[in-house]
Amino acid sequence: MARATKMKYGFPIILFIWLYLDGIIGAAFQPQLFHYPYAMSSYLVVLWLVFTVLFEGPHNNHLEIWAAIVGCVFDLYYTGILGVFVFVFPIVVLVTKVGYREFPVSFLSGLLIVFIDITIVTFASFVANMVTHLTSASVADMLVYSLGPTLAYNLAAFVILYYPIQRLFDWMSS
Amino acid sequence: MNKFFSNRRLVIIIVGLIVSFGLMSFSVVVRNNRATPPMIQQFGNDVVGLGNRLVALPVAGVKNSVSSISNLLNTYQENNRLKKQVQQLAQTKVRDQALTGENQKLKTQLKLNNTLTDYDALTATVIARTPSSWQDQVVIDKGSAAGIKKNMPVLSGKGLVGRIAEVNRTNSKVELLSNTNEAANRFAVQITNKSGETVNGIISGYDNDKNQIEMGNITTKKKIEKGDRVSTSGLGGVMPAGLYIGTVAATGHDDYGLASKIMINPAADVSSVSFVTVAIRQAQTTE
Repeated sequence: MARATKMKYGFPIILFIWLYLDGIIGAAFQPQLFHYPYAMSSYLVVLWLVFTVLFEGPHNNHLEIWAAIVGCVFDLYYTGILGVFVFVFPIVVLVTKVGYREFPVSFLSGLLIVFIDITIVTFASFVANMVTHLTSASVADMLVYSLGPTLAYNLAAFVILYYPIQRLFDWMSS
Repeated sequence: MNKFFSNRRLVIIIVGLIVSFGLMSFSVVVRNNRATPPMIQQFGNDVVGLGNRLVALPVAGVKNSVSSISNLLNTYQENNRLKKQVQQLAQTKVRDQALTGENQKLKTQLKLNNTLTDYDALTATVIARTPSSWQDQVVIDKGSAAGIKKNMPVLSGKGLVGRIAEVNRTNSKVELLSNTNEAANRFAVQITNKSGETVNGIISGYDNDKNQIEMGNITTKKKIEKGDRVSTSGLGGVMPAGLYIGTVAATGHDDYGLASKIMINPAADVSSVSFVTVAIRQAQTTE
């Protein structure tokens, strides 16, 4: 009972805290994160979704719905363009679940899955901004300016957060 | 692989794509044409903004303590530099007071209420930055409840940093000058040269490489030199006149060699915005 309660209320609360931290970290470290010629976007909320699949297993069917909800908030509150992350975040969860089934779960396979997920998110964000004429950058620009630094930032965050969050999940499911 | 694109999945994918593009184009239309987003979106954003402020509190605490330590280390040099500036500033301030008084008297004589240079300053805090490489956009903690309207200019530190792009009740989004968005950055500005002549124009873009603002389509013969001051002209929209933008960095011709293009060094640091001032014009808007 205690396990179910901790997970039931802990998961969404922490999900939204990561969502807020993405924006707050961006605002607090603007000169470091968004300094031309690189732009690192913080997608800690995506990491939290990946961690949930990795540590809780792929059988949680509510996860896609939570991903869609948090994607909707991300779209409306941060970008103002609805219809991008509301679909991309559930796709990320599905991809992670496929990865979970295909690879043995370990630190390294988690790193690989995050690599794929962040690439998907960055590409989707670029395509959406291009379609809506919010940017005129080319794909080559995008790879160097956005994808590389964003991957570096989020993979580093994954490495730092892996063991603390594993402990957190152990505690939440104890 | 053949199984992957089974009929049902294909249909779901295509429907998903169509819905996604539909929502995106709807959002863009709203963003471009309406003064405020739909009621429900505003309400959602207000609720989310409230949570954002709660989470931002501890982060701001940590950041402030770090920056106060680094400020302490620079204090001696800064103090020396500031002492020199203060002496000049006192003179300028007294003169400014005299001029403002004179201006007021002349305005009452002419029965003018508010001219383009009058504006109310509204201070706001940046609570989040869009985690996206393509939208240089920040969220501030004041909204339509405080009198903010779409397209109002936003200042930070020494000069202009952007404009209001979306207004909710208690928070709003600011599009920074460094945005490469095709619809952004259309500020009406004027350059005053050494002999007091003014040249009007419009900001046409931002050069990320050199960190400079571009001002294009200028066909004047008036001489503009490096170091000339650029400010908003207050023509059109909700923009007051006389907001400082920066100084001219270089002049040249545009890609077709017909009009001249002027590069401007922005006075404010666009890449680091934590407190902003929204300038609310007192004179009636033309929109």
